[in-house]
Amino acid sequence: MQTFAIEALSWPDNGADLRRQVRTLVADHVHPANPADRTNCWAVADPAFSRTLAAAGLLGMTWPKEYGGHERSPLERYIVLEELLAAGAPVGAHWIADRQTGTLLLRYGHEEERRRWVPGMARGEIFACIGLSEPNAGSDLAAVRTTARRDGDGWVIDGQKVWTTNAHNAHVMIALIRSEEGSERNAGLSQFIIPMDTPGLTVRPILDLTGGHDFNEIFFDNVRLPGTALLGVEGEGWKQATAELSLERSGPERYLSCLTLLTELIRAVGPEPSDCVRALIGQLVSETWTLRLMSASVAAQIAQGHDPALEATIVKDLGNSFEQAMPALIQAAVETDLSSDAALPIMLGHLLQVSPSFSLRGGTREILKGIIARGLGLR
Amino acid sequence: MNDQQHMLSDMADGLFAGLGPSATMEAHWSQIEALALSSLLLPEEAGGFGGTWQDALIVFRLAGYHALSLPVAEAAIAARLAAGTGLEGRGTIASRTDGTVEGDCFTGAVHGAVMSEGADFIVAPGPQGGSFLVATAGGERTPSVNLAGESRDVWHFESVPVAHVTENVFVMGAFARVAQIAGALDAALAMSVRYVNERKQFGRPLAKFQAVQQSLATFACEAAAANCAAMGLAQALDRGNAHYEVAAAKLRANRAVGIGTSAAHQAHGAIGFTQEYALHPITRRLWSARSEFGGDSHWAALLGGRVAAAGADRFWADLTALTD
Repeated sequence: MQTFAIEALSWPDNGADLRRQVRTLVADHVHPANPADRTNCWAVADPAFSRTLAAAGLLGMTWPKEYGGHERSPLERYIVLEELLAAGAPVGAHWIADRQTGTLLLRYGHEEERRRWVPGMARGEIFACIGLSEPNAGSDLAAVRTTARRDGDGWVIDGQKVWTTNAHNAHVMIALIRSEEGSERNAGLSQFIIPMDTPGLTVRPILDLTGGHDFNEIFFDNVRLPGTALLGVEGEGWKQATAELSLERSGPERYLSCLTLLTELIRAVGPEPSDCVRALIGQLVSETWTLRLMSASVAAQIAQGHDPALEATIVKDLGNSFEQAMPALIQAAVETDLSSDAALPIMLGHLLQVSPSFSLRGGTREILKGIIARGLGLR
Repeated sequence: MNDQQHMLSDMADGLFAGLGPSATMEAHWSQIEALALSSLLLPEEAGGFGGTWQDALIVFRLAGYHALSLPVAEAAIAARLAAGTGLEGRGTIASRTDGTVEGDCFTGAVHGAVMSEGADFIVAPGPQGGSFLVATAGGERTPSVNLAGESRDVWHFESVPVAHVTENVFVMGAFARVAQIAGALDAALAMSVRYVNERKQFGRPLAKFQAVQQSLATFACEAAAANCAAMGLAQALDRGNAHYEVAAAKLRANRAVGIGTSAAHQAHGAIGFTQEYALHPITRRLWSARSEFGGDSHWAALLGGRVAAAGADRFWADLTALTD
């Protein structure tokens, strides 16, 4: 039995150059420097930094030039992503558009919609969000009840989405919606591309337990869309959304949300830490090293045209468990005054509070383990 | 895997599956020799197979998968290190040296020599780094075994000649254990999956209970991590420098041992705890391998110390430089 298809990984020859380019960009960009913003940084939006990256050709890297992309390899893109996350750069504004929305539009979108949105995404001017969860459809995604009904050549959307990350920064959403009246479960669903400024669409913030604004609820009240808004094949929304989840789950952000905390720990304890801290650093570095290989291996398989859905799920589950455990391990290993204004305690305090979300977003731990159990032949 | 690696894998898989944990040197070692597996890592110009560490991973992992009770990995590593030293025959490796080397003369003990009865020479970690090779003819063997009943002997030597090599047998031994852990975890996982699909309680297979599914899913993640760590280490050895990766990989594999063996035994219930059932040859080897060629405290202190000494601004740069 081997659950994880492991291939020896060949990294691109220009990796070191690419890293230098990203490191320089990050170092030169002045971002309001609350140390907490360097943690979980793919939830921190800074449109100016997104445009800087775009100007350097680092958004839409794998997309066709015809749509503003740069036709680079997926592993080159992977290197850019891991560098940005490792540095704690504020990449939240464009993250979803670059990761999945643009790619999905290119794969399934109507030509008019591709031309309308994708080049702007590559310029770092168009940001996106994902409409999956609803009040009664969380882990049970097939329970979505937001409806699309035909109206002449177009569609009319009614219903509600919730926990929509980045909706308050986004210009556009891809949503999973019930397009066949009376259909049940994963049949009769379709994906739609919806401009966030469409009349009848309302965004309301939901504050998280720290008071932070990351996710939102979305209301659709008689929202009219043109026929081109249907993404891909009518009724195939479930299959398309599942493939989209592979993109969403496989990236390095699923294990690197806390890497800057580890870096800050190394800084704070200095070159000769106590035995206990040294051992903890060794363990955390070991885990980071392994997850990096696993995550990159998934990226390489996607690059070869495979859909490593099971491997991606394994990496996300391991990665989330790791980044979720790290703050508490560091809190236990070093005496920290969480009311102080030094970088380490600020970052640690922030991550202790937001890390419960790591094993919720993008698929809960229980759902992921269910997928892995199915892969093992247990269900 | 390339075609040659597929062939190597099929060949080792077939042979090891038949031999398993009850094979003996007297009755079965000739079958290993017949396939020239002990010359796997020996350069072609020295008459060997000229295999890479990634080739070795395939064979060592399968030895772990089938709980093979023959020192294939140890013989292959010893043969590679003996190339050009004049030592011939079957070699094996040891994990610890307690003694002094003066010039080309060693006095002291080597510990953890793997199935060394009848071996011609032993490769042991050098007290000042590297490794040294010593013929068994001049020493005295005190038999000892690990938790799985595998031979791990102590040898005493008094002023015997040794040959020095710069390559580090402790690192290679750690690689062998990481590869075997990866294979053994996959085997224990397969057994556990099979068992919970067959065993019924409350009128349905154990596999239908979510608690059981989630536990084995966690196990699968750990087995995957150990296998990826083993591959990462093999690639580093093939690149020629694995000081960082060996620590990272052994630590990660060791962690998987704890989670994996717990899950395997829990899934099997009492039957997995019996002598007659085939789980313990795997799990007892796993618990032994966790200590052999460096436990957590050894490798974590080394890796953590190295990273801390380099400093925060080098941490990520050094990690990525390993593969660039």
